[in-house]
Amino acid sequence: MSEQNIQPLFRLRVEYVKAGRLAYLGHLEVLHTIERIIRRASLPYAVTQGFSPHMRAGFSSALPVGTSSRSEWYDVFLTSLVPPAEALQRLQAASPEDLMATRCGYVDVRTPALTAQITRVLYRIELSFTDASAGCPDVSDALSEVIGLGRIPYARGKKNKVLDVDRMLVSHRVADGEGCIVLELDTRCDNEGALRPEILVAAIDRVLARRAVASDDDPIQSTGIQRFDRIARYRVERRAQLVEGEDGELIDPLCARS
Amino acid sequence: MRVPYEDRFHELEPLLARVEKPSRYIDHEWGTMSKQEADYRACLIYPDTYEVGLPNQGIAILYHILNQQEGISCERGYVPWVDMADEMRAAGVPLLSLEGAAPVASFDVVGFHVPHEMACTNYLEAMDLAGIPFYSADRSEDDPIIIAGGPSVYNPEPLAPFFDAILIGEGEEAIVEVCREHQRLRDAGASRDEILRGLAAIPGTYVPALYDIRFDGDCTPHGYAVPSEGENVPPVVYKRVVKDFGATDPVSQSVIPYAQLVHDRLSVEVLRGCARGCRFCQAGITYRPVRERSADQIVSAVTRGLAETGYDEVSLTSLSTTDHSCCEQILSRLNRRLEDTGISVSIPSQRLDSFGVNMALQVAGEKKGGLTFAPEAGSQRMRDVINKGVTEDDLDRAVRAAFEAGWRRCKLYFMIGLPGERDEDIVAIAELADHVLELAREVVPKGQRGGISISISVSVFIPKASTPFQWCAQTPDEEVKRRQQLLLKSVKNRAVRVHYHDAETSLLEAVLSRAGRDMAPVIEGAWRRGARFDAWTEQFSLERWEQAASDCGIDLRAIAQTPYDLDAIMPWEHVSPGVSRGFLQREYRRALAGETTADCTRASCAGCGICPTLHVDNVLMGERS
Repeated sequence: MSEQNIQPLFRLRVEYVKAGRLAYLGHLEVLHTIERIIRRASLPYAVTQGFSPHMRAGFSSALPVGTSSRSEWYDVFLTSLVPPAEALQRLQAASPEDLMATRCGYVDVRTPALTAQITRVLYRIELSFTDASAGCPDVSDALSEVIGLGRIPYARGKKNKVLDVDRMLVSHRVADGEGCIVLELDTRCDNEGALRPEILVAAIDRVLARRAVASDDDPIQSTGIQRFDRIARYRVERRAQLVEGEDGELIDPLCARS
Repeated sequence: MRVPYEDRFHELEPLLARVEKPSRYIDHEWGTMSKQEADYRACLIYPDTYEVGLPNQGIAILYHILNQQEGISCERGYVPWVDMADEMRAAGVPLLSLEGAAPVASFDVVGFHVPHEMACTNYLEAMDLAGIPFYSADRSEDDPIIIAGGPSVYNPEPLAPFFDAILIGEGEEAIVEVCREHQRLRDAGASRDEILRGLAAIPGTYVPALYDIRFDGDCTPHGYAVPSEGENVPPVVYKRVVKDFGATDPVSQSVIPYAQLVHDRLSVEVLRGCARGCRFCQAGITYRPVRERSADQIVSAVTRGLAETGYDEVSLTSLSTTDHSCCEQILSRLNRRLEDTGISVSIPSQRLDSFGVNMALQVAGEKKGGLTFAPEAGSQRMRDVINKGVTEDDLDRAVRAAFEAGWRRCKLYFMIGLPGERDEDIVAIAELADHVLELAREVVPKGQRGGISISISVSVFIPKASTPFQWCAQTPDEEVKRRQQLLLKSVKNRAVRVHYHDAETSLLEAVLSRAGRDMAPVIEGAWRRGARFDAWTEQFSLERWEQAASDCGIDLRAIAQTPYDLDAIMPWEHVSPGVSRGFLQREYRRALAGETTADCTRASCAGCGICPTLHVDNVLMGERS
């Protein structure tokens, strides 16, 4: 322990993407891969003391299997300072294309964990309908109906949960995309939970299919990959993860202090 | 026309949403080596799921070697788990390679790894998904050449009709020769038959189609293979041994998986072969001679391998790592080098003496999980029969040292159904386990005794080809079950946990180890009845196999449980690891007499015949302790 107190540590914060086929990786698979990338990059990572020493690193919240992201984050503690440009270049040389590091910089070692700091998450969702029967206004109306419900009950494994749409959804936008309808969401996430986009998509599908959103026998299931009645295909991408400042301003995690 | 080589991932992708562990199928791992443009394409397939097959060192070595060849591209394939296989059949998606997501049937050569007998239905599962005919005789000019190789080819006959060529022994050089010769013949416009004849001329290559099975003379009911009339092929195909093991690259892994595997670590093969001479052990014969890498080579390979892969654990692999003459030096050098990195070293199993425990202590650090020992038999009499050169004293010292050093969990491996085994030998296993527990309680301080855990794992003896026990029958499965119950009853202490292998799986393993070419239609029949992934307990059903066998007029129990005559020609004698028949017979007789035979890396030559037959020698880096 004493050694650790004396040794200065540096906290490198790294942004990376989760794209293409690698969207199908599970959270633990991503964690282990990132650790291997850090070792391949030969960054001077710090190791926890004790029984089973491991790399000191912390990650932003888990992304469901099948969901891609333009902005995932991790912090890794280093025992010596590597200039950010060099660290980024070394990480990039050790990363597969679809988990590429995009930016990095140092934050204060006392900065709260990423999971505590990040309170706003932006998503972009593409919905495709094979029959082209549902257009932008239909989806928009369906979403309004879902928002009107306020709360969506769903099941996560064997647990019954409720998504508080009122509190977790900050704003939304529905627009026509190329061969799909694009849904943009600005959501909150905190200790109480986060808005899992697939639940909102499932609720929209049920409204479009004229089924009850809330159902005790057949609740909406929270999993990254689902099959729906009306929506033929959908793609969810995390666009940004941000820190909400005291005055409601949105701050990049690289610049956030508290 | 051959199926075109093209990326068909878009057909597979919609299925990913419906199966467990989609990361098995997505490829794009770090370190893949295949090429987009290539004149000659090979696909190496492990006959099980991705996470079982990926750590396999054999495939990793050959993948590396083939991709280093100019103009040759090598990709990997695995067998989709049952959920994905069913989805693929329903959607009409064929078996795809990983890197290029191209149909397996579009490759020039498809190579199957043969890890053990129980993989047999998975070759058919893979070929069926790929749209490749099962039997060599049914394949057309457009089908790929299907080759096989691996540790379990020393009785190739049950699988022989399914493969165009089987590579016997070490593949580092042979696979390149096979691919180059095929490429040359293909470019010269040779027919499939001409290609097979060309491959048969490469040393170590067994082309089953060029041999006939005869039943005359002194042989078993399964007959024996001889070159077909007019075919210029060797009557005995000897295994290949790589020319200079020390000159091969000790870092074979390049592909780093995303999925979390059971053995998720860097493996460095520190030595090859084991000459301890356990009489039931096939690997102990087929991996000879013994060849050690130098300590310098091992230490620098570990450093380089960790830097290239990013793993946080390295395993020093071999059949008996603690036998390496420089083991102590290697471990202490690695420990110094890996200090404060959080990276750990592991060795696969412990030698049953205090040296073994010292070596385990070197790599354990603060974290002491369990220690595993393999006395194999409970009584000294039985250990002498199997030539397990371990005494009760060795065991006592090893166990005492382990518990004194801080280990609390100990696992002991045994085998039952061994030749000449009596009930008292079974009871001796129980007594030994109880004795180990008592030793532990004696050594471990009072307050920590609650943490003591002794478990014993008991497998069933399977007579394997090219071992001194190859003539032996397997103990009948009903009798195996009785002995398992006897063992359970004999373990007095409830703190000793007993695990034993399924007698029915072991029965089939013995059948596949002993039968001849007559078994191939039974394998096909079992697959048609739904058998696949037979190595997975929850997938295995003996009933399917019994039905398939009875359709072919074959009695599985008769094959496993009838001994072979000591002078009979075995169904597998046309492939050889170089061991002499006289040595095996002598060892069998010594076994029955309870006489032991010394390890030739520590004492004089035991006369197995492998060195003179294959023109090879043991290569040691120092004196073995």
